[in-house]
Amino acid sequence: MLSQMQRLSFEAEGRYASDEELRFIPEYLKTYELRLQTYQKLQELEQTVIQQVQEKMLAQDPNILRSGNVDLAPKWKRDAIRTWRYSAAALLMDDTETLRDRFLLWFQTVMRAFGAQKSCNATYATMQEVVKQHLTPQQASLFLPILVLNQRLLGSVQ
Amino acid sequence: MTLILDHQTPAKQQNAKKHNHYSFKDFFQFEPNKGTIVDWNDAQNILATEDFIIGLVEGLEEEVGEASAAIMYTIGCEWGQKDAFFFEKWFEKEFDRPVRQTSLMFLLETWWWPYTAQGWGRWEVDMGDRRQGFMFINLFDSALARTLGDVGKPVCHLYAGLFSGFFTEMVKKQLGCIEIQCYSMGETYCKFLLGGQERIDAASFWLNEGATAKDIEKRLRAGEMK
Repeated sequence: MLSQMQRLSFEAEGRYASDEELRFIPEYLKTYELRLQTYQKLQELEQTVIQQVQEKMLAQDPNILRSGNVDLAPKWKRDAIRTWRYSAAALLMDDTETLRDRFLLWFQTVMRAFGAQKSCNATYATMQEVVKQHLTPQQASLFLPILVLNQRLLGSVQ
Repeated sequence: MTLILDHQTPAKQQNAKKHNHYSFKDFFQFEPNKGTIVDWNDAQNILATEDFIIGLVEGLEEEVGEASAAIMYTIGCEWGQKDAFFFEKWFEKEFDRPVRQTSLMFLLETWWWPYTAQGWGRWEVDMGDRRQGFMFINLFDSALARTLGDVGKPVCHLYAGLFSGFFTEMVKKQLGCIEIQCYSMGETYCKFLLGGQERIDAASFWLNEGATAKDIEKRLRAGEMK
């Protein structure tokens, strides 16, 4: 939404925007209530979902959050919370472009630097499964694509 | 009059320790009254057009001929060396930890982020051969190559110098760098070899003989020297 607004103000400078160019605004307004509801729900769910994701991941692979003798779980949790909050903001604003530019592209290089793509892939795949159990299908339809984006950018091996 | 460069965008005022500050709005502060562009690390930036880059490269070539590649490389070396000191300072301030107690890959990615934000291109460091004393850097969207277009020879000597200067300073060991594949030779991205001078000389020799980046990689991995 913000990115689209910015682009519109840039592209339509000195003239009137066309109906086509303005279409994203009513479309956003149509989904605003649902976005706000989902955003608030995500805030409530933060701890629960991340806890469940962690448990599910460990059940599948007990060593996924370990590197040798080092327990990476606290760091993983901080990262997961941070990504969750950025994702919630992207959902509210309908702005995955900003999520990508301000956070994911940077975070991707950090995750690659630590060779964490495998755990990222598992994290955001599992998160999709867990989230489906807590959100209505409508809410999920807005949030799942964001988790897919996280999985694709953070979890893919080059 | 001394110009005080102090980056104070809302993003920084809000959270000076925020690490993901590389979006255009967060990273640059435009001060039209002072005529400055100050980045997050308080360095002054200038905007340069593609014409400026063409003028720089072609003008230098006209002045000194083939030596222009060596000059660009040397400029890059000095830049990289200076930037290593600058980087150490801002890194330690931002992360509250010395550069030498940090994961190497994380350190390198952090070093390169301001360059990405400034339009020098994205990179990818391949450290698979580090134990043998060399490594490769892939560069996507080189500002030089994308400006000059397909000219049939490597043009990113400035980058090669930058990598040589920076890494030499960081590892406290003399390292050279050579571009073994360039967007300006019709490739999709640029590739640099970083290592001891004997390897760089060997790669340079093979390159002159018509070897491709792949041939050079193979020969180096096989332990060949010229």
